[in-house]
Amino acid sequence: MTKVLGKKELESWLNSIMQERILVAPKRVDDLVLFTPVHSVDEIAFDFQNTTLSPKELFFPRTETLFTIVHKDGEIEFTPVTVDRETVLFGIRPCDARGIAILDGPYLSDPPDSLWAQHRDKTTLIGLACAKPAPQCFCTSMGSSPTDTSNVDILLTEVDDGYAVEIVTEKGEKLLQGAELKESDVKPSVPQCDASVPAEGIVDAVKRAFEDPYWSRLADRCIHCNICAYVCPTCYCFDIRDYKAGGKIERIRTWESCQSKGFSRIAGGYDPRANKGSRLRQRFCHKLLYFPEQFGPLGCVGCGRCVTACPVNIDIREIISDIQERGAQVGQRSN
Amino acid sequence: MEADFTSQIREKARELLEKGTVECVIGYETGSDGVSARPSFIYNPSEVERLVFDNTCSHNLVKYLLDKKGKPTAIVVKGCDSRALNLLLSEKQLQRDQIFIIGVVCPGVVEWGWNRRSEQFQKRCDLCRQHTPLVYDLLIGTPVTEEPPPEFTDIAEMSARATEERASFWREQAERCLRCYACRQACPGCYCIDCFVEQLDPEWVGIRIATGENLMWNTIRAFHLAGRCIACNECERVCPVNLPLSLLNRKLEEEMLELFDYRAGMSEDATAPLITFIKEEKLGIGE
Repeated sequence: MTKVLGKKELESWLNSIMQERILVAPKRVDDLVLFTPVHSVDEIAFDFQNTTLSPKELFFPRTETLFTIVHKDGEIEFTPVTVDRETVLFGIRPCDARGIAILDGPYLSDPPDSLWAQHRDKTTLIGLACAKPAPQCFCTSMGSSPTDTSNVDILLTEVDDGYAVEIVTEKGEKLLQGAELKESDVKPSVPQCDASVPAEGIVDAVKRAFEDPYWSRLADRCIHCNICAYVCPTCYCFDIRDYKAGGKIERIRTWESCQSKGFSRIAGGYDPRANKGSRLRQRFCHKLLYFPEQFGPLGCVGCGRCVTACPVNIDIREIISDIQERGAQVGQRSN
Repeated sequence: MEADFTSQIREKARELLEKGTVECVIGYETGSDGVSARPSFIYNPSEVERLVFDNTCSHNLVKYLLDKKGKPTAIVVKGCDSRALNLLLSEKQLQRDQIFIIGVVCPGVVEWGWNRRSEQFQKRCDLCRQHTPLVYDLLIGTPVTEEPPPEFTDIAEMSARATEERASFWREQAERCLRCYACRQACPGCYCIDCFVEQLDPEWVGIRIATGENLMWNTIRAFHLAGRCIACNECERVCPVNLPLSLLNRKLEEEMLELFDYRAGMSEDATAPLITFIKEEKLGIGE
């Protein structure tokens, strides 16, 4: 038997969530679909392939204050920012949920990032299985699937008369208390994401192809904006700066990316990644080599956002294939 | 026609590379979706078959020439792109004798995205007054008689709105901006070694990705392009959150015409009003 939440019941459940917590859900804004705090179920977009921007922003906002310092009577008063409000994130796709989960690697390993930890702790994830993966999707090549339950608290899958409900965690179970679930013998269909990106063994291939001129040729085309990093659910670099306003010092962090000129510039002006080829290579080495070496999984979940958003068609799926080929050639030469 | 343009581009590219006239030919090739074009860099005569020309070739490739300084390079340009060449030549950023220009008489480019291609011309093509390139070494296609489009009817509605209404419109837009700087990176007019937005002393714009700072970023960038924007609309095309940047650029284009009767990129020895100092000019300061 499958637990099912009818469309009406889903609405009243979401309505009750909105009373007590912040509900963030996909919403159409002009031609975009963005995760936005919503105040009515009418605002929620249910019919979308994936959101324009990833939901990482809920955990790693584009700009976030870390702490404030106030100088008072010769004393320094230090106030770290805390996350108080409980948030429910509705409509996260399994690939994006995996993105959040793998960022626990860098953000929760010792010493843990307190703000990331708090955002994670205070947020409940209601996943929405993909009914129809898009042409750019390749989650199955990256260790996930359109119906992957591993990284959400609840997974909803659309069925004829509502949504099939899979309760994954205690947090999810708690959130569902009071929801009018019914038992049904409906079997949710299992959509396929049939992309086949040859990710197996990519870590070694990237290592072997590190010095390949491929990277500088590819960088000819790259315009070195930060789009790929900012739409990516697993890019997590930031810049930090202190601002002074009205006797208060605020330390903030904002999104930054290895594609920016000057991102790796150090005191004295030296930049170890001054040329475009080394900057572009860094992006793919980080995702396909350094991240798995440090934290286990590949630093890509196959959401395909960078594929469609890149203005000059730098396509990670194509790069993985090319690097497998080139890495193999280097392997042959050195044997 | 597309097939014919493609074969003429390939033929010239092969000849230039075989003779060693240029090191690289910058043109277009079919992208990973098999549907739309992407920029292509050809170094070897054996690779020229990758080159294509079709109605998704909307990228302005001229920006890439700045990475090829000192290296003889051939480039495929449409009419609008040729204005960018003139802009950079007049601002002494490129050397004419280092560039072989393959000009294409552009029939217009369509609205497209990754894996998506419509039959609808881009809005900017309806406003185009330069289908035939202004500067070239080889011209592909037959020059057309340019019929001036209606001036600025596209921004009339926005210009007519009340100030407060416009301000709130732009605040809403700026809220979405990610400060990814794709607009700048794609713009042929944005080539400062140190962009104002990244300068630290003074810090002209804070690094917060927030409405106020984003507004400041987009406004200052637009002003830096006043009388320099050649209307290729790359900034708007690349924006991942669809900011209507052409509204800003078109407004400034209108102002430049009205104040100085000037349009950017129309000749390689143009004297651009806002970056030219004329001693005799009355400044109206301290009089």
